[in-house]
Amino acid sequence: MSTLVRKRATHNVLNVVTWLFVLANAFPILWMVWTSLHSNDEILSGVSGMATTHFQWRNYVQLWQTIHFSGYFLNSLIICGVTTILATTFAVMAGYALARYKFPGSGLFSMSVVSTQMIPGILFLIPIYLLFWQVDKSIGLPMINTYWGMILIYTAFYTPMSIWIMRSFFVSVPRDLEESALIDGCTRFQAFRRVILPLSAPGMIATAVYVFLTAWDELMFAWVMTTTSDVQTIPVGIRLYVGQYQNRFDLLMAAAAVSTLPVLVTFFLTQKYFIRGMTAGAVKG
Amino acid sequence: MQEQPQRAAATTRFSAASRQTRGGRLRRAWREYRFAYALVVPALVFMVGIHFFPMVQGVWMSFLKLNQFTLAQYLKAPWVGLQNYTDVLFNPDNPVRAGLGVAVRNTILYSIAVTIGTLVVGMCGALLMNRKFAGRGFARTTLLLPWVVPSYVVGILWGFMWQKDNGVINFLLVDVLHLTSDKPFWLIGPNTLWAIVIPTIWRSWPFLMVVFLAGLQTIPEELYEAAKIDGASVWRQFRHITLPLLRPIIAIQLLFQIIANVYSYNIVAMMFGNGAGYPGEWGDLLMTALVRQSFGYWAFGSGSAASFLLMLVMLIVVSIWYRTFRKEMMMQ
Repeated sequence: MSTLVRKRATHNVLNVVTWLFVLANAFPILWMVWTSLHSNDEILSGVSGMATTHFQWRNYVQLWQTIHFSGYFLNSLIICGVTTILATTFAVMAGYALARYKFPGSGLFSMSVVSTQMIPGILFLIPIYLLFWQVDKSIGLPMINTYWGMILIYTAFYTPMSIWIMRSFFVSVPRDLEESALIDGCTRFQAFRRVILPLSAPGMIATAVYVFLTAWDELMFAWVMTTTSDVQTIPVGIRLYVGQYQNRFDLLMAAAAVSTLPVLVTFFLTQKYFIRGMTAGAVKG
Repeated sequence: MQEQPQRAAATTRFSAASRQTRGGRLRRAWREYRFAYALVVPALVFMVGIHFFPMVQGVWMSFLKLNQFTLAQYLKAPWVGLQNYTDVLFNPDNPVRAGLGVAVRNTILYSIAVTIGTLVVGMCGALLMNRKFAGRGFARTTLLLPWVVPSYVVGILWGFMWQKDNGVINFLLVDVLHLTSDKPFWLIGPNTLWAIVIPTIWRSWPFLMVVFLAGLQTIPEELYEAAKIDGASVWRQFRHITLPLLRPIIAIQLLFQIIANVYSYNIVAMMFGNGAGYPGEWGDLLMTALVRQSFGYWAFGSGSAASFLLMLVMLIVVSIWYRTFRKEMMMQ
């Protein structure tokens, strides 16, 4: 066999491997959507029951009627939306400061930003729970079962990692831009607002998407800090639902598909910026 | 060239300021940095308020006797010294101690398996996707899909797929591939570990692929060409060019993976049907066990003690990691 033939054969084999890999990897998601289009009787009779191509959309309608899904969905949107705005804002500010200044305490600050990632969630889950409870008891400000309680926690959680993403973004923006703005008579704040902020849109998008995706996925704190369906997010709602109706896989899979949709859309709309922003930090460290 | 006079003026202003006295220098430093401090303050307030203050409080609580009776006045709860720690380590009657050994074993096995699996699959994916072939853009995008799926959805979805009698995995393994004659249990018994390891790898490997792809693109093509001329095999090229050059990236991702997997909660919490979070002997992880037992039995003192011990162990792990990869981190 000549080298060229062998090379082409290897190439073809690798292509087949690649596409099998792609297919196997996407399979669970396709299976989720496929299942969600079947009735529960078909699902419970196993794979053969789901071989039919007779689809029904009833699960997607029933979902909103039976398990208060619209409420959970709205709660998730509000909590994650506000968290995204707040965390991104704070991350832009602090990330810029870390990228541009070596102020007294900046080393300590960036070290504490990193070290927050090391603390196991449960170590502050208990104190925050008791703290919120104490605040409610002593000054009558409800914190558990409120939007702002959840937003406060999530903002604090996702700000450190966001600072890190924004910092590595700002490091890649040339310093000369602000310097010439300063020389042209801008104050530092004006230089930041007029020159740097407009330029940092891609980094901000990457950060915002990161925060939204991660906050959308949070379960542990939401599980402990919310007990009424007025504020519970989708993961908590679904988990309660799993406890009550174990064998309604039709509704479960529909709920899973619907709750994946917002993050999927967000991701694909911003894929270009998001991946660049995430890998910039990851590759450069 | 019209900017010239202005630029000169600006330079004079700055150098005049730097020639001031000590007090002046301090004032100037404050003026110089107050903008930076103002930028940092909001993040700092949140981090101190929701991270560091509660963490200190959590450590303090690990020395108190906290149960359903003392909880109402938890600020005045009796001090018990190290008793929570000895309870968590040795007392079989302590609710947090119950099942902790199993959870520790599972967490260690799970973290090692997921971390290695994610890195290896991510690397293979990156190498496959770094070749030129028709439809590469589509393939890359499709491969990213699991990474976008929320992990609680991963828990539900795979919990459904692992079902013994009507799950699709047993269908593929037994009815299509005929690997065994009996359909195995996946959500009970030792197989449970695989039932949580594999979905976690499935969800997290695409990010590693993206990162490794970005890294692969920074390696100059000439290195491989030179190696080919010297007759190096593909495997030797990978071992002696790709791996060493990607070492810093691998090191960082290794650390992120270890932390994420040791602190993993969602997939296990969602996968095991009854919603109360009883994943059984082979599926319980540290996070699920600690949350369930602390909040289920109001055992906040021993819960805090166990969490603090976990953090100390993680600090040791990270310092070992740092010692191993210090050189790579310096290069960054």
